[in-house]
Amino acid sequence: MADRFESGSLSARFGRSFVTLVLALTLLFLAFPVVMTFVSSFASDWFGVLPTGFVTVGNWQDVIFGTGVGADVAVGSSLAYSTGLALGGVVINLIVGVPIAYAVARYDFWGQDWVNVFAILPLAPGIILGIAFLRTYPDLSTSGIALVIGYSLLKAPYMVMAVQSSFQSMDLQQIEESARSLGASWPRTFLTVIVPNARTGIIAGSIISWTLAAAEFNFSYIVYSRGTPPLAIFLFNNITNASFLNAAAAVSVFFLLIALVTITLQIIGNRGSVRRV
Amino acid sequence: MSEVVLEDVTKQFDSTLAVDGVSINIDDGEVMGIVGPSGCGKTTALRLVAGFETATEGTIRYDGEDVTHVPPENRNVGLVFQSYALFNNMSVLKNITFGPKMHGVGKAERRDRAHDLLELLDIEELADRNPKTLSGGQQQRVGLARALAIEPHILLLDEPMTGLDAKLKQTLRQELGQLLEELGVTTLYVTHDQEQAMSMCDRIAVMNDGHLEQIGTPAEIYEQPANEFVAGFIGTANLLDATIRDGRVSLGFAEMDAPGAANAAGSATVMVRPDDIRIGDSSGDAAAVVDVEVTNLFYQGDTIQATGRLPDGQTVTLSLDRSLTGVTTGDSLSVGFDPAAVHVINSA
Repeated sequence: MADRFESGSLSARFGRSFVTLVLALTLLFLAFPVVMTFVSSFASDWFGVLPTGFVTVGNWQDVIFGTGVGADVAVGSSLAYSTGLALGGVVINLIVGVPIAYAVARYDFWGQDWVNVFAILPLAPGIILGIAFLRTYPDLSTSGIALVIGYSLLKAPYMVMAVQSSFQSMDLQQIEESARSLGASWPRTFLTVIVPNARTGIIAGSIISWTLAAAEFNFSYIVYSRGTPPLAIFLFNNITNASFLNAAAAVSVFFLLIALVTITLQIIGNRGSVRRV
Repeated sequence: MSEVVLEDVTKQFDSTLAVDGVSINIDDGEVMGIVGPSGCGKTTALRLVAGFETATEGTIRYDGEDVTHVPPENRNVGLVFQSYALFNNMSVLKNITFGPKMHGVGKAERRDRAHDLLELLDIEELADRNPKTLSGGQQQRVGLARALAIEPHILLLDEPMTGLDAKLKQTLRQELGQLLEELGVTTLYVTHDQEQAMSMCDRIAVMNDGHLEQIGTPAEIYEQPANEFVAGFIGTANLLDATIRDGRVSLGFAEMDAPGAANAAGSATVMVRPDDIRIGDSSGDAAAVVDVEVTNLFYQGDTIQATGRLPDGQTVTLSLDRSLTGVTTGDSLSVGFDPAAVHVINSA
């Protein structure tokens, strides 16, 4: 069987070196703009093919301290605001999405397929949902609450799918019944056994939905009206109103934030794998 | 440890009658097996005892107390599944102390209890390991320790050895049998593997299609099956058409006294186990001797299973020892039947 797969693989048909080269070039092509953006944020000029005038932190200073260019505000306030809004969306998704994923994976019930479809299908594009919010809840729409709810609705499918995948990889019924036979009530079983066992999926879902929510532009652009701009709007303002190098620094801040959150959540996830009594 | 009683228990799922009026009395400290083919209702019976299903009719009692409607977390039952269902978010030690913790046992005592069980099951070195890093046999021991840690009324084992290889299964079967005997814990052992049930259980309940076919010791079930189903399910059985008259059984090709058929008369089905049929030289002094034409041979290592045709055309399964490895298909073998080996299981 392994031989059959082996003989039909790309490596067998085109040679391992060629396939590796194609993959490396593809990866480079995709990563190059990100790397160049980050690198150029420390340059003072970029008029030719490559940025020049290294190394300066001036672009970062403009973005971090809001020195009158771009968004005209410091990144800190937007960052904190968006972090909070996206976190709110993630918390809602954890509270609602995890039990939905569990119910769909564990039980057979009437309407199960429909619940699953609505939970994992992105219900509407951000721009459509944003307009609907404005029309339906005009008072609510100007507050952060609308952004939190919108982020949670838009990103719920990523949370549900990641968690559902974790639940489906374990024998939920037998794990649940073992815990209950040992004297644990259903809520305690769910919180101390089921949820921790789905930790990998929950963390993955949280990272994805938080990252996408923090960077959600369409919905934020439609709904945001005044006050501290969400990060996506802040980045947009920097990109449109400032030099490219300022914009590069603003985008780099976001890259670093995503990397930091992802690594932190992964460390938290790995740390919880075995706890002593 | 408790006496556990199922009184006329029925469980209906929509139009399916999963358990049909089953009554089983499991004595304090007894190891009771439930065997039967897939879908016979044995796992549903176990789930009824555990409290994960509620009986449609009938009563379940622990030491006389009606627990039919008591939720599983309040029944104090130890449960070991085929998949072991260990909690991978906890160490082995924490898996074992989980149950006592839920029952309000103090930290020091639950640690002592866990270490005693780890020692008893010879897995002390696994205490800090994550269950998912353990082998199947180790996981089974941890599952058992976790179930025993709550000092259960009854230990419920649901096909706990199904996923293991044959050698390990044999070793664990011996160890588990010895452990259960040592601890004297009331046990309900559900399996489709009749060989495991025969070797480990004090008594066996044979289920088929939701109802109880027979309950008895392994020897009773094997030697005196109540009906054709039990005879066929437990071990290999030759079911032969016969006629009974005046306490004698006529197999068509031979006639002999039938000690178990004193009150029977007319046409009947009798059961003869292959290992009770004398073959070759040893058949000479049997009550009835007949020649069988060998039609198939299956080499099984320690024995050779053969099928043969009796003079009246009926097929019979034989168990040949290794001295008869020269026998080939088409050969004629002399076989002998003794009255004690012929068990009447059904008469008109």
